[in-house]
Amino acid sequence: MRPARVALWALAALTALYLVLPVFVVVPMSFSDSAFLEFPPQEWSLRWYENFFTDLTWLDSTIASLQIAVQVTLLSLVLGTAAALGMVRGRYPLRALVSGLVMAPVLVPYVIVGLAVYAVFLQLGLTETALGFVLVHTALAVPYVVITVSSALMSFDRRLEHAAMGLGAGPVTTFATVTLPLIAPSLAGGAVFAFVTSFDEVVTSVFLSGPDLTTLPVQMWSGVRVQIDPTVAAVSSMLLLVTLSLFAGAGVARLVRRRKA
Amino acid sequence: MNETGGSVDVLGVGKTYGQAVALDDVTLHVEPGEFMTLLGSSGSGKSTLLNVVAGFTRPTSGSVTVDGRDITHDPPYKRDLGMVFQHYALFPHMSVAENVAFPLRRRRVRGAELTRRVDEALDVVELGGLRDRRPAQLSGGQQQRVALARAIVFRPRVLLMDEPLGALDKRLREQLQLEIKRLHTELGITFVFVTHDQDEALTMSDRIALLRDGRVVQVGTPADLYDRPASRYVAEFLGESNLLPAANDSEALLVRPQDVRLSRPGADLPAGDHAHDGKVTEVIYLGSGLRVEVELRSGGRLIARTGTRLDPVPRPDDEVVVHWRQQDCVTVPA
Repeated sequence: MRPARVALWALAALTALYLVLPVFVVVPMSFSDSAFLEFPPQEWSLRWYENFFTDLTWLDSTIASLQIAVQVTLLSLVLGTAAALGMVRGRYPLRALVSGLVMAPVLVPYVIVGLAVYAVFLQLGLTETALGFVLVHTALAVPYVVITVSSALMSFDRRLEHAAMGLGAGPVTTFATVTLPLIAPSLAGGAVFAFVTSFDEVVTSVFLSGPDLTTLPVQMWSGVRVQIDPTVAAVSSMLLLVTLSLFAGAGVARLVRRRKA
Repeated sequence: MNETGGSVDVLGVGKTYGQAVALDDVTLHVEPGEFMTLLGSSGSGKSTLLNVVAGFTRPTSGSVTVDGRDITHDPPYKRDLGMVFQHYALFPHMSVAENVAFPLRRRRVRGAELTRRVDEALDVVELGGLRDRRPAQLSGGQQQRVALARAIVFRPRVLLMDEPLGALDKRLREQLQLEIKRLHTELGITFVFVTHDQDEALTMSDRIALLRDGRVVQVGTPADLYDRPASRYVAEFLGESNLLPAANDSEALLVRPQDVRLSRPGADLPAGDHAHDGKVTEVIYLGSGLRVEVELRSGGRLIARTGTRLDPVPRPDDEVVVHWRQQDCVTVPA
């Protein structure tokens, strides 16, 4: 290999290592027997995993997070797909402005979103409610669905829709029988992003959390802030596993489909 | 003409995109059961016209009727016309059988009746054995046959085809031309076929409408257009043509290369033949014949197509007399 190629490979390897380095710290820590976060661990045990599954505050926040994330996923899929259709297919004035507004939640710093939402939701009584979390997380997740679905729609062969209509399918049937099945892989991708966006969200969630309702990431955050609870490391490791399997699953599905086509 | 075919009438249809005129006051009548070809070069408006009939393009003016029913403002899915696209537009996520079943399902055909009619349509295009394949597993010719089966399975009275053979190689194209022609005879429905290929148009059509710059320049049988072109443009569009100055400036004489004969200077010519002296400039061997280019002494060039067994075979720089029978040349408005 030429020196330039060697250098490129080395740079890529170092970058990858840098990105996964936290994993090599967190995962071993989660198996530590120590009452504090300790790296490298002196003694090994599963006590922090046991603690997670027996402590109600951890379980409650996990269930709350899952419920919120599932609702956010469904809601942002519907809204994001509709928005993507409007942005890619629509012809109307100020289309660029509409696109900008839809994408705004990812551009505005989350702290500002959190603060603004907190001020309003406090008056509406929406803080510490699942609805409040779902509303905010959906706004943050929709742009990701819009991005994946619009790119699928932009490369979509509209002659297929014309063919369907020419063969007697109305607009709704055409969408359901031709468009939707063909962009489904992108919807699945968008769904994974939406789910992770909600399930991972800390910044705005800190504002909305309280004794009545706390999500898992916020529980982890206070687990480190307030009492240095090594359960956090165990939760992190499990989350890592879940996230990895989600993305690996999406990757495998894509491979299988490509092999079939 | 057959009762299963519908008549199509295009009345004064115009279509403009901003300043650009795609169709300019087009009127065309298609008989029930007729094979009508819309022929023209790219940008002539032939595809736009087909899309107006199909309902994908809304005309700026004029109307479209099928069997006397005004469908100008109907969406495509209410027109009940079959349509075949150049790039097949098969649904990639469905099997061959599901593709063909699609228009039947939209018409609420179910169960045994559905299966029977799908099988029947696949048999017509001789693809019965491939019903469970995906479109991606088929060759271009097979895909186009599936598209044909899908377009005829619901027994439309009119079938529209937009350059359906454009993406296929020459041999396959010629084979499918004959199959489509056979299908037309068997089904008895009206075909409206778009192509830019004059040979395809001549081979397949009952009548041809030649379009240019959004207007119909001539409608007629292949023989009408080829032998009695209404203008110089038509003459030059269909086949090779020799256009010579006529007695007055507003007309030209058309003689097709295969009607031009070559003789040696001084030879006896049949009485009444038009004759010109010239010199051979180029001879190309085509297998099926020779293409001989002659420079006329009176100015201008002329192409002759002859058999390969001429005696002697013409060579460049040979002095020749080109001649043709009176009835083989026609006057064409210049």
